[in-house]
Amino acid sequence: MSWKLFKLGLTSPENEPRFFPEEKPLASHYDVVIIGGGGHGLACAYYLAKEHGITRVAVLEQGYLGGGNTGRNTTIVRSNYLTSEGVKFYDASVKLWENLSGDLDINLFYSTRGHFTLAHSDDAMRTMRWRAEVNKHHGVDSEVVDRDAIARAVPTMDLDCGGGPAVHGALYHAPGSVVRHDAVAWGYARAAAQRGVEIHQQTAVTDIHTAGGRVTGVATSRGDISCDAVVSMVAGYTPRITDMLDLPTPIEIYPLQACVTEPVKPFLDTIIVSGSLHVYVSQSSRGELVMGSAVDPAVLHSTRSTFEFVEGLADHIVDMFPFAGRLRLLRQWAGMADMTPDFAPIMGTTPVDGFYLDSGWGTWGFKATPISGQTMAATVAAKRNHELIEPFRLGRFADFQLVGEKGAASVGH
Amino acid sequence: MKRIDCPEIGPRPIDEFTYGGEVRRPPQAGADTAALADYVFNRAGAPGVLREWWHHDPSGRWFVLERDTRTDTVLRSVPITEVAHAVPTR
Amino acid sequence: MPYRRAEAGPREWIDRGRTLRFTFEGRSYEGHPGDTITSALLANGVSLLGRSFKYHRPRGAFSLANHDVNALFCTPQDTHIRGDVTPLVEGMDVRPVNVRGGLDNDRDRHLDRLGRFMPVGFYYKAFHRPKALFPYWERAIRKRAGLGQVDLDWTPDRRAKRHAHCDALVVGAGPTGLTAALDLADNGCSVVLVDENPHPGASFDYAHAGDETALAHRDALIASVHAHPAITLHTRAVALGHYADHLVPIATPDGIIKVRARGVLLATGVIEQPAVFHNNDRPGVMLASGAQRLLHRFGVAACRRAIMVVANGEGYAAALDLHAAGVEIAAIADMGTPESQIPAARLLAAGIPVHRDHAIHAAHGESAVEAATLAPVDADGHCDLARAHRVPCDGVFMSVGWAPAGQLLYQAGGRLRYDDTLAMPVPETWPDTVVPAGRLNGVFDLDCQYEDARDAAARLRAALAGEPVPAVADHRDRVSHGAAWPIVAHDRGRNFVDLDEDVQLKDLEQAAREGFDNIELLKRFSTVGMGPSQGKHANQNAIRILARIRDQGIDATGTTTARPMFHPVRLEDLAGRRLRPTRRSPLHDAHAELGARFMDAGAWLRPAWYGAAGDRAEAIAAEVRAVREAVGLIDVSTLGKIEVVGPDAARLLEAAYTVRAADLSVGAGRYALMVDESGVVADDGLIARLGPEHFFVTASSGHAAATRRELTREAALGGFDAWVVDRTSELGSITIAGPRSRELLAPLTDVDLDRKAFKGGIRTGHVCGQPARVLRAAFVDRIGFEVHADVAATRLIWARLMDDGAALGVRAFGVEAQRVLRLEMGHIIVGQDTDGLTDPFEAAMAGAVHFDKPAFIGRGALALLAERTQRRLVAFTLPADADTPLPRESHLVIEDGEIAGRVTSIAHSPTLGYAIGFAMVDTALADSERALTLRVDDGVQVRATRAATPFVARRGKRAQPESRS
Repeated sequence: MSWKLFKLGLTSPENEPRFFPEEKPLASHYDVVIIGGGGHGLACAYYLAKEHGITRVAVLEQGYLGGGNTGRNTTIVRSNYLTSEGVKFYDASVKLWENLSGDLDINLFYSTRGHFTLAHSDDAMRTMRWRAEVNKHHGVDSEVVDRDAIARAVPTMDLDCGGGPAVHGALYHAPGSVVRHDAVAWGYARAAAQRGVEIHQQTAVTDIHTAGGRVTGVATSRGDISCDAVVSMVAGYTPRITDMLDLPTPIEIYPLQACVTEPVKPFLDTIIVSGSLHVYVSQSSRGELVMGSAVDPAVLHSTRSTFEFVEGLADHIVDMFPFAGRLRLLRQWAGMADMTPDFAPIMGTTPVDGFYLDSGWGTWGFKATPISGQTMAATVAAKRNHELIEPFRLGRFADFQLVGEKGAASVGH
Repeated sequence: MKRIDCPEIGPRPIDEFTYGGEVRRPPQAGADTAALADYVFNRAGAPGVLREWWHHDPSGRWFVLERDTRTDTVLRSVPITEVAHAVPTR
Repeated sequence: MPYRRAEAGPREWIDRGRTLRFTFEGRSYEGHPGDTITSALLANGVSLLGRSFKYHRPRGAFSLANHDVNALFCTPQDTHIRGDVTPLVEGMDVRPVNVRGGLDNDRDRHLDRLGRFMPVGFYYKAFHRPKALFPYWERAIRKRAGLGQVDLDWTPDRRAKRHAHCDALVVGAGPTGLTAALDLADNGCSVVLVDENPHPGASFDYAHAGDETALAHRDALIASVHAHPAITLHTRAVALGHYADHLVPIATPDGIIKVRARGVLLATGVIEQPAVFHNNDRPGVMLASGAQRLLHRFGVAACRRAIMVVANGEGYAAALDLHAAGVEIAAIADMGTPESQIPAARLLAAGIPVHRDHAIHAAHGESAVEAATLAPVDADGHCDLARAHRVPCDGVFMSVGWAPAGQLLYQAGGRLRYDDTLAMPVPETWPDTVVPAGRLNGVFDLDCQYEDARDAAARLRAALAGEPVPAVADHRDRVSHGAAWPIVAHDRGRNFVDLDEDVQLKDLEQAAREGFDNIELLKRFSTVGMGPSQGKHANQNAIRILARIRDQGIDATGTTTARPMFHPVRLEDLAGRRLRPTRRSPLHDAHAELGARFMDAGAWLRPAWYGAAGDRAEAIAAEVRAVREAVGLIDVSTLGKIEVVGPDAARLLEAAYTVRAADLSVGAGRYALMVDESGVVADDGLIARLGPEHFFVTASSGHAAATRRELTREAALGGFDAWVVDRTSELGSITIAGPRSRELLAPLTDVDLDRKAFKGGIRTGHVCGQPARVLRAAFVDRIGFEVHADVAATRLIWARLMDDGAALGVRAFGVEAQRVLRLEMGHIIVGQDTDGLTDPFEAAMAGAVHFDKPAFIGRGALALLAERTQRRLVAFTLPADADTPLPRESHLVIEDGEIAGRVTSIAHSPTLGYAIGFAMVDTALADSERALTLRVDDGVQVRATRAATPFVARRGKRAQPESRS
């Protein structure tokens, strides 16, 4: 038995420390207001306090901690992107992930499973090799593997996909992992709060005040606050925040859906993604198949579910894992993904002084949680973009300097 | 499956349509780079009533529909002449 | 111990005249047709049916209503079978899930004693330090994960889904649903009526089974429903969820029916809620409604001597009901039933002792309940143990309240509020076309349910007719139907709020204490409500507990979101029949006869090459040589073929493509690029002019539909008087290429193929006597013709070309040879040599951007991009004699140790005898004359010489090395 468990068993539960402090009134001023109490916002607060000594920070969350896309994604972490900018950024994230349970003293169940992106055509194989070559160049462990290698690693999968399109090969990314997503928000929240950050749930930002082109404060459902900097880390709600500042962005909101089956004994150790079949799937530590697909076809500000999503997903899952036809789908849900034209995030400073944007997370935001928090904290502290996020600046669109991630991320997750 | 209740062709399942995105007005000829980039990339991302292109694949027709992006309800079909620019300026 | 009563009930489901044999854990038992697995096991005295998820505690039957997720079973064909509703089948080999070594001696049963070491959320607090040990713990935890075991040999049963359309879908065929369905149907609505159970009747069958008047009415309703031509009844049919526009998928034993209704009437009823007390999970502890279902549907008495905990009239009715069937009711602990609801005289006559303001403090026994302790209880659930007494029993029945089965109502946009009188949430608002009625709506009295059903049906009818919807008449009960706090503290815990997930009262209290004190955080941290029943028995009590902790109302505490599915559904049912449309060219059979190896090209099947499987490389090389040296045929029917017709046809094309079109004379043609508004290459093809107002346009196979859409949109947007007609499927297309192509085609056509007369563009005429269009094509060879004709003519032309060409050395060639040939010619493939962000300048096709016309899609962006090109496609060759490995597409170009580009195309040229290719490289490198360093597998670097295109400049001659630009 784990020593920690033994200790837990012998101590009175009343003595267990609170994860989160009791609610308290809003102060009239903070140095930094972070809008959004998801993984990104809480991580940013944590790194502001820990690495920059900025502790007069309020995280304002309109709902509950981690209730947005942090709690709605399929928990996959990887760094096998297509562009150098993307690979460097997500690789830095993976390195933070690997030690995060220890850093935050919470077991995030960071489980390194290996990640196969299946290719069902020559075109897809070309893209996989491209990603593998760029990854290797930056020291990221990715390689193109053939059918035999996939068959050895995932013996339960039908590589002919029930009659096609058959799997030609895959991009294998050994560091691919899954994480207990809710715990990420909780761990960052606790660690930030321990360093003096205030976290206010059920507190909606209704307006952002500016004077002379710079941020002076925010209006909230619980009153006004003055502040020097506002960081928007709200994913699917980004356009509502940027509209408060009349700040146009390329962001559009598309629903992204996911679902789980009833938990069964483990039969799938790795993470499987198929762009052609619009499927990604892994088996959680509880034994559920956690599954997702591409974003819905049209803009929508809603977390409604659709039946065609589970129909399409089941169709392809059964092609890949015929026996899994007997598994029961338990629950489906949706999040709102903030998509960008080049499938890369939009981060950093904005034309409004003191207003920082962490957005454009589309379908790939969860895996960036630690590095987004760390680089956005550094950006806020230095008032200029951290070098890792400079390629993701909002201004790239006006310069027609897009990030070429579109080729890889369409169904990457 | 969601139905697009098109005022012109009646209710059809959404998978008969291809989404064509928000209707945006191109800038005047000679507009600066900022205006061009705004047209090409920026979008009215906030929830509300949006004018969008929808292509009905079986009939091969485009529609411009006003849709509430909070409730996913189509409010009306806009004659394409309302969004057309007879003299293209981009 | 449960047993089958000798006397048959009036409406029971089982056929006592026939016997089914089955085994459970290898032991043989008998049951009857109509039994479920659970009822048959209970009838045989087997009450230990499963082990719990976390602590492996013994569990039994609970609801008999599809919520018994602690009694999941597997057979050799399936797992996660819900025994409480799954029909028994002859010869069934039933086993429990998630036990090791049998139910009685489950090797994991000791986990129950380690409970103190597994407090709520324990797995977040342990195992992560030291980091190196986590993989060990993870393996151990994963071994305990999950319930059932899949069998890798199972093959999916993929049945077609059915569709149904109706005016009104009625969910639930109990007193309310049957009444409402008839009202709707009698008033002209087409009705689909669904119920989970194998027979209509629902609560009639168990809650009113002793009421002859009710049963007579039931029989009449069911007979009317069966007879009504406008009602379609589906039983064993689960409404999985409510989706947009009244789509309600129904899971049936025959697969899924997708019901699209104009309106929905929800008569989904209520779900009985458990009391929370120590050992409330012991086999034998059941919901009173579960005991009634068991009794009246299957003739099984759940026990011989029961203790009941009751907080409503339904509980007393159940007590008398079970008493009448021979079950001794040893005591009733009453947690606050209104005086008016207690049938004191009948209880007295039956000799049933009632202990007012008492609760069950604890149940006793291990794998079966043996006794219960009753004690006076206060409003906070604290028992006065000084006045407690223990009563032996072999069953405990709970009737302390209800929760609405409001999942579909919630999904449809309905909102519920907690009703303090009824002690359950009731619908507050709902859409006019999704209407709740009956017990779901808080209406408990049977006669009131009929009234409520008719009122709801009338409101739905009005809404469907577009008439004003009548006001809601309130038929809700005015007396309590449940305990406000059916929860009893116990210093040893094991008072379960959620039996799916083994969540106890103290777990929720502890989670809240640690800060997880809103309902969503509480759910996620404690996992309450996350199990297979999705909290159907847990969420209401969890919300009560949190409301008390936070000292706020139930509504302020909120609720968790009710997501589909209502009950879990098999993936194979969701998947349905496997449909994979493929498109075949009109020449498909001809290719097959020639031994084509087909490949997927989008939805199309195309010949990759022709020949025996082992001869791939040689076959492709031979096909290439045939084209270079004689003549080859390739089926290009997959090309998009679009005609643009009308006074503004030329203007439309000029607006849609980057090239000019208006200046083309009739018969002339031009390579054309289409870009999007950001200047990214979207498609390429040929524009050819057939007449003053008539153009023929080709699009690449994969982009044909999108290109036609963009042309259509541009026509509408620009107000152009032009029609866009997609003729892709009507016309077949053949490319005849190679030095002898003219020789082959000329005798078969009236089109003048003379090199001077037909340098490029399009001609209309005949080929093999069939109307056809002939285009000059230079994609695979300098000399080439593309013939487009209707599909039947195309077959004839192909056959004739192959026959006549035999003497000339004709050969059919596939996509693989085409790729090599076009590369030798220096042509790009959009989507291979370009990516999602490539503009025409990067693709080295500046010549295909004509700025000398007023406006076209992407013009503004291209004007900018022309000045700031960051990378460009260049051509290269590799020496023929190199020992070094041939690079592959997507291998990187390296310059000063950094990525400077990538190979987009590469092939060994059979014509030239060495490798040729394209690379997309940084502009600085492209502008220089420097050789390319290509990094192949294992970091080996290969030098590539820059080259000009076409690689094959003149027939068989090597191109001079120079930059393509």
